[in-house]
Amino acid sequence: MFSLVAAVTWNGSQRQRHSSCRHHSSDPHQLYIPNCTRSSSDFFSCKFMAVPYHSSSFVFVFTLICALGVSLGFNSTSDLDDSLVYLWPLPSEFTFGEDVLAVDPDLSLAVGGDGGNSDIVREAFLRYRGIIFKHSTRFSKFRGRSMYDISKIRIIVHSDSEVLQLGVDESYSLLVAKNDDHSIIGEATIEANTVYGALRGLETFSQLCAFDYGTKTVQVYNAPWYIQDKPRFVYRGLMLDTSRHYLPIDVIKHVIESMSYAKLNVLHWHIIDEQSFPLEVPTYPKLWKGAYTKWERYTVEDAYDIVKTGKVKKNAFSRQFCFLVHISLVCLDLKLRQNESCSSFMAGINVMAEIDIPGHAESWGTGYPDLWPSPSCREPLDVSKEFTFDMVSGILTAYGASSAIVSKDHPLAYVLASYCKDMRKIFPFELFHLGGDEVNTDCWNSTPHVQQWLQDHNMTPKEAYQYFVLRAQEIAISKNWAPVNWEETFNTFATNLNPRTVIHNWLGPGVCPKAVAKGFRCIYSNQGVWYLDHLDVPWDGFYNAEPLEGINSASEQELVLGGEVCMWSEVADTSNVLQTIWPRAAAAAGMQ
Amino acid sequence: MGKIVKSFCFLVFFGVLVEGLNIWPMPNSVNHGHQIMYLSNDFALKSDGSKYNDASGILKDAFSRLLDVIEVDHVIDSNFSHFDPMAILHGIHVIVWSQNDELQYGVDESYKLSIPSHGTQVYAHIEAQTVYGVLHGLQTFSQLCRFNLTNRAIEVHQVPWYIIDQPRFFYRGLLIDTSRHYLPLPIIKNVIDSMTYAKLNVLHWHIVDTQSFPLEIPSFPKLWNGAYSISERYTMADAAEIVSYAQRRGISVLAEIDVPGHALSWGTGYPSLWPSKDCQQPLDVSKEFTFKVIDGILSDFSKTFKYRFVHLGGDEVNTSCWTETPHIRKWLRQHGLDTSGAYQYFVLRAQKIALSHGYEIINWEETFNDFGSKLSRKTVVHNWLGGGVAEKVVAAGLRCIVSNQDKWYLDHLDAPWEGFYMNEPLTNITNHQQQKLILGGEVCMWGEHIDASDIEQTIWPRAAAAAERLWSAYDNLAKDPSQVFGRLAHFRCLLNQRGVAAAPLVGPGRVAPEEPGSCYKQ
Repeated sequence: MFSLVAAVTWNGSQRQRHSSCRHHSSDPHQLYIPNCTRSSSDFFSCKFMAVPYHSSSFVFVFTLICALGVSLGFNSTSDLDDSLVYLWPLPSEFTFGEDVLAVDPDLSLAVGGDGGNSDIVREAFLRYRGIIFKHSTRFSKFRGRSMYDISKIRIIVHSDSEVLQLGVDESYSLLVAKNDDHSIIGEATIEANTVYGALRGLETFSQLCAFDYGTKTVQVYNAPWYIQDKPRFVYRGLMLDTSRHYLPIDVIKHVIESMSYAKLNVLHWHIIDEQSFPLEVPTYPKLWKGAYTKWERYTVEDAYDIVKTGKVKKNAFSRQFCFLVHISLVCLDLKLRQNESCSSFMAGINVMAEIDIPGHAESWGTGYPDLWPSPSCREPLDVSKEFTFDMVSGILTAYGASSAIVSKDHPLAYVLASYCKDMRKIFPFELFHLGGDEVNTDCWNSTPHVQQWLQDHNMTPKEAYQYFVLRAQEIAISKNWAPVNWEETFNTFATNLNPRTVIHNWLGPGVCPKAVAKGFRCIYSNQGVWYLDHLDVPWDGFYNAEPLEGINSASEQELVLGGEVCMWSEVADTSNVLQTIWPRAAAAAGMQ
Repeated sequence: MGKIVKSFCFLVFFGVLVEGLNIWPMPNSVNHGHQIMYLSNDFALKSDGSKYNDASGILKDAFSRLLDVIEVDHVIDSNFSHFDPMAILHGIHVIVWSQNDELQYGVDESYKLSIPSHGTQVYAHIEAQTVYGVLHGLQTFSQLCRFNLTNRAIEVHQVPWYIIDQPRFFYRGLLIDTSRHYLPLPIIKNVIDSMTYAKLNVLHWHIVDTQSFPLEIPSFPKLWNGAYSISERYTMADAAEIVSYAQRRGISVLAEIDVPGHALSWGTGYPSLWPSKDCQQPLDVSKEFTFKVIDGILSDFSKTFKYRFVHLGGDEVNTSCWTETPHIRKWLRQHGLDTSGAYQYFVLRAQKIALSHGYEIINWEETFNDFGSKLSRKTVVHNWLGGGVAEKVVAAGLRCIVSNQDKWYLDHLDAPWEGFYMNEPLTNITNHQQQKLILGGEVCMWGEHIDASDIEQTIWPRAAAAAERLWSAYDNLAKDPSQVFGRLAHFRCLLNQRGVAAAPLVGPGRVAPEEPGSCYKQ
């Protein structure tokens, strides 16, 4: 288990070689490679140039570019080399120079544009200031001498819309340069169309900052920096599984925070499986009896809080930080932000919820045994009962028709109803995962009443599986969710799936090409390379995986939303989930 | 206080005998009832009647941390109109008798905690000599609180509570090693936070060793050239921040330089500290410069590390470099010393330097084993090689810290928590005066195979097993560790909920969970 830590270590020089010479391709026939030229005496300019991708020329080009990199100072030594570009994932375009800029510990924020005055921007700024100034700068050589090159970060956000959805504009530009003659105060400038682009820009800025132990200040090396960046894929996911082992809320928030460092943007929350049902469902209050214990559960408010966050873990850092800089008003404000709208995600990370039906749902029956085909044969969910589909519908609604009843029994319903009426609002992301994998229909065959139902409806178990999945899809679609299903549904009855379905690959390579050829959207999670619970897959295996492999036409490539690394939790819990995710998830993030 | 006590129906329990009492480590004496109180929405701290004015905010901050750990990130949103107003607990009333908040070895850590079972505008009470006793009381209080996921309130079950508590040993340590792997500052702070949950009170910071020298030493600014990389370093201001962070949580920081044996990295900045370029360890005993550097380090230390003790190491000294290097061989001859004499000379001279800076000394046990009678009487001998050392040390009238590696080395990944729990520092020491010479014990997290990615689960929950041994009264300790499995598993889950990556109990030592399941059963 723990040996993976050793297996995935690397040194800085290797990392650099990969990041500078890696293809960033939206077309598999082309390699996008950084072409760095010395455009003036102190500027390097790197652009990703399209180079024909043929296996014969690949090695040559790769070697050439690496050699070029070495000649430009990307050489590897055992020590960390200040001239390297330590950014992960590597931005799509950047130029840099040779200046060293000192960053003021009292770094302030200036905002502009219609969306600049957003809480999301303000909170992110505070969060990143805490990250950037980890070391004490009390003894900085510049302290009190107003000699800092960067005293202010200016964030310009053009759109005031904070809607976070699939395909939201995450692009940004970042300029970090010394103050010129026109301005007294040095600035870094981030410009983005949305607040979420600004968040990505802040992350990049934080990675340019390094504490210098000589001057005891935070510095930006290789300035001036000019970076223009946008993601290659709109869906860059990480899956967490809270059924095999419960993950405390603090841990989930910690994972969300760490995702933002690698610019991942979707947390796929595999909430429930056969082992336990940790989530409260107010319309069916016995469902979470399927939790491991009464402590290993999430209330709907907890779920809302997790999603809303993308909010950042309330860690000691930010609190202490707030205290230190006397911005208690801001902190207080953050504490009181319970009433904000459901769609504001503080870290720019969508949460895609999953209920994996009908195959991985045994725990549902702890509270409602009728959902089992029989007490001795408990999975998949009983396809023959209307109650099963009422339940699915109830979960996807939560505070729907029955909210009046709920509020009578439940003192909280009215509170909740005021900010979050139903599951659709708790999980505002447009995708909802309905699972559908590994359905073993033996229980349907061996249970008399289900068998009878199959006969009455003239269905084989396989057809009943299709019937179940399609019916669940209809429910999700009726709530305005686009359904995501694991690939077995596509492999078994592709043509009948709702055209809005997103196919989630996992079994192996070659599925997304088939799915997009049929016009479906696809998420790539090939278990051979992107399953984090496969402890023996090294980080370069994650890095080398290519979601667009085997897909040639641009229109089909567009249907690949992106990819996702999956942290299945059979043998992972709070004690080892973080190091099982990182750094391998970052390698995959680099591909996305 | 008197009224509260009178209203108790006295049911006296001692922890290990009681089902469902989930406090770790078990307090000295515990009385409780069977009712429930609910924490008020505006749960408050008050301290009227205290002599302590909390000018430094230690208490205020501790209270704010308390609120965080009892919420464990759940959304607390209860409707109090549904609860009996007489069952609402409005806050904690803290009384601290001493104005002094200097944290030092032997500081009074005792406290009394009482929680009433009903009343109007009632508060829990914590009474302690020092603010550090209060911190422990708050930790105990936090473990009595549970968030109820059904009614969304934080509940205190089994009220009324009346707890009287104090540690069995003054020294309850955890060693971290930032030389074999650098530990970033937030990681060290997380370790400190987690120590408070188990009432450990000394962070033994093994800063420097053969492999790297991460700390800035202003007197000899090239020493940290021995760091692994430019970013894997601590400024002295960072060290001061760690000390202050720990002190505000009731934890002392014991700094160590391990001389002369584990000091190769010193020579990266000052190669003349090596016997020679090809034979780099131990430090060159023949040069005055060696002791000048030690003096500079300890002089810098004394401004930041205010604990009474400094650790001077002294273990595993292989003197072959001294005999192989001509100029040292010559020096040995001139001074009539053999290598073991030179080792003794080195250790004793380093001790004198430490004493001159106002420190008492801790040395690893080899120094005692080899020349115990020569050691300064202010020496504390730090056991590690095995059992049976402590009894010899105290028989010789010296003080001792117990860390026998077979039971209390956390880097022994196959050492199970049961062994950590059962390791008794006073084994074979019956004389009361000699028992008092055992300052306590320490679990050691050596960093050869441990870094930021896995330090937490290698420390926890096994360090907690030792923590109860070091805190709880001997008579409250289980004679069979299986009796405390459920309570320790509960504490491990509590650590998980607070974001500490504590490993499962089930399995041989530190392991990943074997299969899906509840935290409470693994």
